Amino acid sequence: MSTTSLSRGGGGNSYVSRSSSSGLYDVLDLILDKGLVIDVFLRVSLVGIELLTVDARIVIASVDTYLRFAEAVNRLDLGNSQGEGLPDLMQDMTEGGASSKTKGVLEGAKEKIFGGDDDDESNDKDEDSGSSSSSGPSSRRSSSSRSGSGSGSRSRARSSSRGRSSSS
Amino acid sequence: MAIKYIYGVVPSTAELPTQPGISGAQLELISADGVAALASDAPDGDLVMGRHAMTTHARVLEAAHALGTVLPMRFGVVMDDESQVVDRLLGAHHDDLLAQLEQFGGKAELKLRATYEEEPMLREVVREDQDVARLRDSLRGAPEEATYYGRIQLGELVSRSIERKRERDAVSIMETLAPLALAVEQMPPPHERVVLSASFLVEQTKLDEFDVAVDRVGETQAGRMRFKYTGPLPPHSFVQLPAES
Repeated sequence: MSTTSLSRGGGGNSYVSRSSSSGLYDVLDLILDKGLVIDVFLRVSLVGIELLTVDARIVIASVDTYLRFAEAVNRLDLGNSQGEGLPDLMQDMTEGGASSKTKGVLEGAKEKIFGGDDDDESNDKDEDSGSSSSSGPSSRRSSSSRSGSGSGSRSRARSSSRGRSSSS
Repeated sequence: MAIKYIYGVVPSTAELPTQPGISGAQLELISADGVAALASDAPDGDLVMGRHAMTTHARVLEAAHALGTVLPMRFGVVMDDESQVVDRLLGAHHDDLLAQLEQFGGKAELKLRATYEEEPMLREVVREDQDVARLRDSLRGAPEEATYYGRIQLGELVSRSIERKRERDAVSIMETLAPLALAVEQMPPPHERVVLSASFLVEQTKLDEFDVAVDRVGETQAGRMRFKYTGPLPPHSFVQLPAES
């Protein structure tokens, strides 16, 4: 049985992560909420669902969400619109002793309260990298558990389904 | 007679996928009058099924879809025996099933989810929303305890701003993709950074065209959003049976 290529259509780019059969996570909502159902016959107890759906649950706007947003927005450094530049600058400051000018731009507000010592800067850096990695996993979770057995090529699916549906 | 687990409905002439079903049971077709249930024997007694069974359900349906038309059942449909499958599913819904097998022949479901990158999203909010920018500046540097309510207010403004941004962006993505689909099903966003979660019913012959359009959207939104694109899948989101009376 042929396998569907993950980069179909010739093109593909790094912003669109695609898969054909993908991990269970990507189709979980479909197989649990969609499809034909005859209510009286839906009677399988499910285990382990909570684990899988917990991060698919709708987050309703709440105080916690608001505080999180506020914190995230406060952490943003708007003076530096290139996100990649920030770690370099930070590193320069920690390694070579902070140039007071750079520090003035980046850390002005902070300095008033905390004195802007090196410990603070590395804490800040940790937080930043933590937040950017935590925003990652929701989108690229699929395809690792994929096996070739369940999928067929697109052209095959097309031709056989055509033949079948007209003959039925 | 054995209890039957049902994966989906196929034409009675359909080719059987070669893989095993749930619990390793052999797949079979239970046919009646042109339509057939894709099924396998289920263990007797209380059925408890977990991740592995769900994965098998999804894979069996995908294999059946690759071989022809399949109307997917929701996960977890079990019937007492073969005669019940024939009477209550295939017989009771014969015309509906036959019509949908015809309707969904040569079509596939494509699922797309667009998610904002957090930092660029927040940067945009602060740049575009003056209320947010002002409040943020006034709170910055003040001690946490003194700004509790201010921070809640700031977060609320940010949240509303994201909401408006999401509506605009979702509409713009849908305007590009919806015209290429026969039907669209939009799901509520599972969390606040999800711009759009939607399924598209697309002719198999138009899949390439749709891929290109998704790629283009991905390029347009580069750096702002990430996309998760899954398919071709059997038409989970588009099949339906009338409620049993």
